[in-house]
Amino acid sequence: MSLIKKPGGKTIEVVKNLPRITLANLRPNPGAKTLEKRRGRGMHGGNRSGWGHKGERQRCNRPRLGFEGGQTPFYLVIPKYGYNANHSRQPQYPPLSLRRLQYLIDLGRIDPSQPIDLTQLVNGRGVEIQPQKRDYGVQLVDEGADIFCAKVNLEVQAASEKAIAAVERNGGVITTSYYDPRSLQILIKPVPFFMPGEPIPKRLFPGEDLLPYYTDANNRGYLADPDKIQTARMDLAKKYGYSIPDISKDTLFEMLVQRKNPRHIFFGLSPGWVVNMADKKILKPTDDKVLQYYGS
Amino acid sequence: MRCCVLPDGHMTFTCFKCTESIFSLQRIHCKHLNEVFPKWHTSYAPAEGVMTSALRAYMTLEVTGVSSNMAASLLSRRTASSFSFTKLNSLLPAAVIQIANYNPRPLRLNLKDPYIPDKESERTPEWQKTEKFERRLFGRYGRASGVNPVKLWPSAARLEELMAEEREWHPPVEQMLQNIAERQMEKEKRRIEREKTIAESMAKMPKLIADWKKQKREAKQKANEEKQKQVRLLAMARERFGFAVDPRSVKFKEMVAEIEKEEKKQRKLLKRQKKEEEQTSITPTADSSQ
Repeated sequence: MSLIKKPGGKTIEVVKNLPRITLANLRPNPGAKTLEKRRGRGMHGGNRSGWGHKGERQRCNRPRLGFEGGQTPFYLVIPKYGYNANHSRQPQYPPLSLRRLQYLIDLGRIDPSQPIDLTQLVNGRGVEIQPQKRDYGVQLVDEGADIFCAKVNLEVQAASEKAIAAVERNGGVITTSYYDPRSLQILIKPVPFFMPGEPIPKRLFPGEDLLPYYTDANNRGYLADPDKIQTARMDLAKKYGYSIPDISKDTLFEMLVQRKNPRHIFFGLSPGWVVNMADKKILKPTDDKVLQYYGS
Repeated sequence: MRCCVLPDGHMTFTCFKCTESIFSLQRIHCKHLNEVFPKWHTSYAPAEGVMTSALRAYMTLEVTGVSSNMAASLLSRRTASSFSFTKLNSLLPAAVIQIANYNPRPLRLNLKDPYIPDKESERTPEWQKTEKFERRLFGRYGRASGVNPVKLWPSAARLEELMAEEREWHPPVEQMLQNIAERQMEKEKRRIEREKTIAESMAKMPKLIADWKKQKREAKQKANEEKQKQVRLLAMARERFGFAVDPRSVKFKEMVAEIEKEEKKQRKLLKRQKKEEEQTSITPTADSSQ
């Protein structure tokens, strides 16, 4: 009998002979339950219940954390340094994901058969840019790179490497270009700029901080060497493992190859021209000096 | 419209209204489709295996005979060739792509009843006689405003100002690139110089360390010797005087001086002896050589 080992053994026998489980038999593990703190009980814990005597303390009206009674508080006296210094003046680039771009193209809000510019994006209500809030344009973000399948001629102000790869893989062309704040305001809202009859200004070049970015072929900068861009395209394709489709054999080749002059804000509109909405005419200057100024 | 994917990968579509007309993308027969896609024609046959964006926008998620994974991937995976789609959305001809633009905001130029202020009158406020306002008039009403278009562009003086400003604040790209390159070179130069000095100093280090160690060792040795000498002198003094003499006392110092004198004499004697030895050793050899 004892040779056959029953699982549990004596425990099972004991448990079988115990009375049934009721609330009277159960108890929580020691340390599982702690008694709640009840204010205002007892000789010393009662009366004001640990809140003090009158004033802000008892009436729960203390000022915010860090307030020093009116003296400039420590967290405001110490200036910001390094990464956070001049944070409110730093250029910002609201993101545009490839997923959103695909969504806009699919819904027909953006026409992929024309060059896609920040104007087109704003017209299709794809992005919201606030030049007055230190936005310097839009940056292309690689979320949705795996589902992006549109062939576009895209111009943005910054782009991540993976996003560039995603666009070029589908036979598209991407360029990063710079718009100074005034040009950016004109770009996103052309009609309110044309209404007061101002001549279109020249687009300024980026400052010495951003110039290295826009002269770099890896970022497809608009001031970079086209040959270097070609090699960069091939290197990127090798890196991400796709083959670049030959766009010269494409039907939309001329559209894809269109790129803006670095000094122009709009395609086909030179600086110095005045666009009149009432007469629906464009006025061009003829004076030499004016032409020299706007042409340089 | 219901979409169905066959095991071989082709897609078929069934219209809800007329369930008997089943069509594939190759050939669309159903007339109800015209209501849904007004720009499509029943005889239109798109290229093989094409799924248009418009189609997808209207397509319901009711997919029969297909697992949910496949349904999700239908709508989400566009580049997959496993469904035998060779061409993609963006490569469709322009006739099929539908673009839906937002209507432009009405300009409300009020061309029928323009307000053009009277320049000569005194009652017109000053700001309506400025150049800026004239430019705005022209922008709003065009030639009908009576403004000479020449005023739109900056005057000669203003142009000079602008050009001077540009020369000062906006150098050409080449200049900026040069500045950047110069700064970069400066930085590199400083870095290289620093590294050179570091390398040179590090090269000297082993010798310096050895020297310092030697110095320390010698100092230690010397200190040891001094201590031992002192101990010896104390012992000698103890012997001589019979009690422990204080090293600072006069007696001890006198004793030390005596011992020093004796040692000096000894050294001198030794030196003289050495010299004589050398002389004697030299002269026999001189004699022998002769």
